[in-house]
Amino acid sequence: MNRFSLIAGAAGTLLLLFVAIPVIRMILAADPAILAKTMAEPGVVASIFLTLKCAFFATMVCALFGIPLAFILARRDFFGKSIVSGIIDLPVMIPHTAAGIALLMVFGKRFFIGKAFAHAGIGFVGTEAGISLAMAFVSLPFLVNSARDGFSAIDPRLERVAETLGASASRTFFSISLPLAFRPILSGLIMMWARGISEFGAVIILAYHPMTAPVLIWERFTSFGLAYARPVAVLLILICLVIFSVLRFIGKQQRDA
Amino acid sequence: MIRLEDIRVTLGCFSLDRVNLFVGRSECVVLLGPTGTGKTVLLETIAGIHRPNSGRLLINGEDMTRARPAKRGLGVVYQDYALFPHMTIFNNMGYGLKVRGISAKKIAMRVKDMAGFLEISHLLDRRPGRLSGGEQQRAALARALVTKPYALLLDEPLSALDKATRNRLRRELKRIHEELGISILHITHDLTDAFFLADRIAVMENGKILQADTPEKILSRPASRTVARLVGINNLIEGRMTSQGLETGIGILRVPAGEHLPAGFRAWAAIPDWAVHLFPYDKGNRYLWTDKMRITEINITDQMLRLRLANENGGTLQTRLSRREAAALPLSLEPGSSVPVGIHETGVSFLLS
Repeated sequence: MNRFSLIAGAAGTLLLLFVAIPVIRMILAADPAILAKTMAEPGVVASIFLTLKCAFFATMVCALFGIPLAFILARRDFFGKSIVSGIIDLPVMIPHTAAGIALLMVFGKRFFIGKAFAHAGIGFVGTEAGISLAMAFVSLPFLVNSARDGFSAIDPRLERVAETLGASASRTFFSISLPLAFRPILSGLIMMWARGISEFGAVIILAYHPMTAPVLIWERFTSFGLAYARPVAVLLILICLVIFSVLRFIGKQQRDA
Repeated sequence: MIRLEDIRVTLGCFSLDRVNLFVGRSECVVLLGPTGTGKTVLLETIAGIHRPNSGRLLINGEDMTRARPAKRGLGVVYQDYALFPHMTIFNNMGYGLKVRGISAKKIAMRVKDMAGFLEISHLLDRRPGRLSGGEQQRAALARALVTKPYALLLDEPLSALDKATRNRLRRELKRIHEELGISILHITHDLTDAFFLADRIAVMENGKILQADTPEKILSRPASRTVARLVGINNLIEGRMTSQGLETGIGILRVPAGEHLPAGFRAWAAIPDWAVHLFPYDKGNRYLWTDKMRITEINITDQMLRLRLANENGGTLQTRLSRREAAALPLSLEPGSSVPVGIHETGVSFLLS
């Protein structure tokens, strides 16, 4: 091993510990008895389930719109492409509380878009739809960018050959591009879902209630203190760890198959 | 048959300028030209991947200028095979049939037939990633052929292969062409591929087709110095026509009776390596020029010796001979030694400047 590898390895290890120690310490510090009691609280379980569900819904809807967009961004050159990419990246850059306020101004009942949805019976303030909306807004760049990189990595000649063999553009997309970009897309979906679950700033502005897990953790922390917030946080982390480990494992299996 | 009429394409830094090209029924046309000259763009334009800015493309008499790739009935094979990595060879080959809605039973039959024809039956259950280059290229050819296209478009199909595989697959391509009677447009920068496979060669440079003709015609009557250079004629000697012949830096070249070069004009003699003979005696009167020259450089490869020759006036020639020919010479070839040299009339052509 050369000196550069040693230094790089040491620096990387420090970074890993920076992430791992707080999480591990929190999990280890949790009293299993209290954890079990927390798990039995209907409010806690409901809020964790709500968080997972809303983030999942947001991810699925964005996949429908975002994956085709990612494909176009990867394959076509058009005027204003860099602006489109910039718009996609925007949610990463603006503070999420600000994003929440911006969303409130558009999807609240004072603006015509919010009014139109309200007419259709969909409200975004204090509803599950609002939670999903906030989650989608702040986390969609993870999906679109990952899918775009996945599509870009495919040799365009594979798609060209498919078309010369008689496949339509959509058939080529579904039989060649999509399966070959499966891993990066899955990874993007997981990232987006995870990012959605952890969203706090935008969610709390659109919907304090029904209460998602991050909002519940924050409420318990400010009202009752660390001891009450921690078990919920540990529980959320453990559930997420299990789910994402399983998903990553499935993705790996797919690649090796 | 494929006919291109005044096709113009601009694509990034590439542009094709008024390309006219014809590939007849059961004909193999080789598009020969250096790398980066727009050959692949031309091929992909024919396949329907790029839209021409102007011009017409006819396939079997039908105007296909704006048709989708799927409608054109052309099989494309790329240099790096472009097999679908997530499918077995069977599914790769069956892909074009499946998208046409052909039944699974018929697909299996046709795929197995074609796999037999190209001797890849044992690979059908494998994925492309684990196959050798030659096997992958056979599979790519089979995938294109199994849909029974009007024509095959081959983009440097042999370039990525090692020499032995390349030789084998080159003969295989000839067999495919002869047995299936399919039209082929084959792109390459390799002269061996071009002269071995082509019924006609189209020489291309900088987005233009400079000449299209049979291999023999192109060699004996190159349309320009650029064409001569691109088909491997290494000696291009300029001179002025006089009553005795072409007056050049190496001396006066006799001009054969058939050439009509007016006296006083400047002209080029295009002399392939194999028309430059060492020890040009006792071979009748078919030499255009003979003299002594000094060997300035010898490059030896596994099969060949490549020689650079110069005379006192600074005139230079280069030639090539096989090791066997070299061994049969009366003296050993050394840099600096002087040898008698002759230019044989076979293969030499003359171009007006």
